[in-house]
Amino acid sequence: MSELLGTFSDGFARRSLLEAVMVGGLCGVVGVHVLLRRLPFFTMALGHATFPGVVLAALLGVNLFLGATLFGAVVVLVVALLGARERVDETSAIGVTLSGAFALGVLLLSAQAGFSRDLAAFLVGSIVTVQHGDLVTTAVAGAAVLGVLAVLHKELVFGAFDRGGLAALGYPVLALDVTLLLLVEVTLVTSIPAVGTILAVALIVAPAAAARLWTERLGATMAVAAAIGVASGVVGLAISQHWRVAAGAAIVLVAATLFTVSLLVAPRHGLLARRRVSRPGAPARVGVPTAGR
Amino acid sequence: MTEVLLEPFRLPYMQRALLEVLLLGALAGVVGVFVVLRRLAFVSDALTHTIFPGVVIAHLLDRSLLLGALAFGVLTAVLLTGIGANRRVGADAALAILLTSFFSVGVVLVSRTRTYTADLTVFLFGRVLAVDRADLLQTLALALVVLGTLWALRKELVLRAFDPEGAAAMGYRTAALDLVLNLLIALVVVAAVKAVGTVLVVALIIVPAAAARLLADRVATTTALACALGALGGWLGLAASYEVSVDHGIRLASGATIVVVLVALFGLAAAAAPLRRRVGGGGVPR
Repeated sequence: MSELLGTFSDGFARRSLLEAVMVGGLCGVVGVHVLLRRLPFFTMALGHATFPGVVLAALLGVNLFLGATLFGAVVVLVVALLGARERVDETSAIGVTLSGAFALGVLLLSAQAGFSRDLAAFLVGSIVTVQHGDLVTTAVAGAAVLGVLAVLHKELVFGAFDRGGLAALGYPVLALDVTLLLLVEVTLVTSIPAVGTILAVALIVAPAAAARLWTERLGATMAVAAAIGVASGVVGLAISQHWRVAAGAAIVLVAATLFTVSLLVAPRHGLLARRRVSRPGAPARVGVPTAGR
Repeated sequence: MTEVLLEPFRLPYMQRALLEVLLLGALAGVVGVFVVLRRLAFVSDALTHTIFPGVVIAHLLDRSLLLGALAFGVLTAVLLTGIGANRRVGADAALAILLTSFFSVGVVLVSRTRTYTADLTVFLFGRVLAVDRADLLQTLALALVVLGTLWALRKELVLRAFDPEGAAAMGYRTAALDLVLNLLIALVVVAAVKAVGTVLVVALIIVPAAAARLLADRVATTTALACALGALGGWLGLAASYEVSVDHGIRLASGATIVVVLVALFGLAAAAAPLRRRVGGGGVPR
């Protein structure tokens, strides 16, 4: 272990470690909301769909975050509009938007020289080349997202479990929905330098899904998810430095491994525990219900 | 206009590319109808990503890419059918984790090679212009298998899509039917990997079918339309990418151009659908 941590002595290694810790923690907390609202596919789509925004921003020399965030907002709108049509169900709407936006990004990028290197960095991240500026952006964006989540915590959780009830109490439900989607989007864009657009969804979903297996209360779930996110970031980075494999992918694999282990051995909801407690086939469910749709 | 649409295909490699794209467009269109009916867009997206490590491993071992992709496609199809048993996790979360971790295995393996980024790009976006005769024959064989199975099981699959309880009550094994459909989607993805790459296959499957569903009511007409739209998109996209790249000096990736054309066709369909309804063409409410 000390040998693994010893790989973080360089300046660039320390920067990437800091980035991994911040992104891991942020994604863990946001992931709990994503799971409560059943948004994994949407998050996946957003990850693909912010891609042309990143490319456009890179081509125009604008801030990447700005480009990705603006394009992502457009995509949120298109999915909402398409999904509202009677003959296009939401998954198809997301699918069409996802692939269309992604292809647009590839097209824009292919028109440029130096196609594959930049592309690979966007897609799977390149945390080792993180600069001071990236760190500052991550810190600011992360603090902003966590701040908004903390302020709106009660309303967002209420909305996830009982949307109708929240609306009946006079809360602006639609505005809250859009706010949450935008927060997810900012989180995604923030994690692009670390894990890239395709893999960011894993860092959001896997720690939260693992944490839900260990905990009952939402606050505890978020804390555990953040911890798992940070651990995935640090261990994944160490593994990637040590064995010279892609960092983003290593981080995701560590997160997925932690999830798989949780799925097996978690005390109440794990597969082994269930087998022992319940009769086969009988639903042995207690605790917080999953947010209904 | 006909000049633009036909001229590029004098070249032998463009002819092969065109044949491949027509085949794939039609095949993916047909399978896509079932994907859209069953709302399996996320599942097909997952399959396109999970096949990636199979392709990489086959490439590293110097074996046929098709075999590697096939092995991982079958593995995923089986895992997907069994997934979501734990209600605390949820099927979509499990799917997202499965998808990204398989994909990561591929990226980790590729990142060990020296030509990392170039390889990654080929796997992800394909090289339709490099399709040879053997690839065409493989695609044709896979297409025959997929279409034959769909034809044989069409009644059962449609019943399963519209009335799962009814199908189960009538004694059909719905789990087996789900597995078959997942396997068929996997086969289409495998067939299309070399031409359009793993990431854009999902567009070939979903976009023509979603567009066809906007325009047609009956499953048979929807299927025919999806098939035609898929092939048309492939042809127009290929011609456009050639035209712009050769005559105007702006390189456009052919796979991505095809997808953008398909999405444009979907946009047209979405615009035309209300018109058609007003004229009185479609009578079936959802």
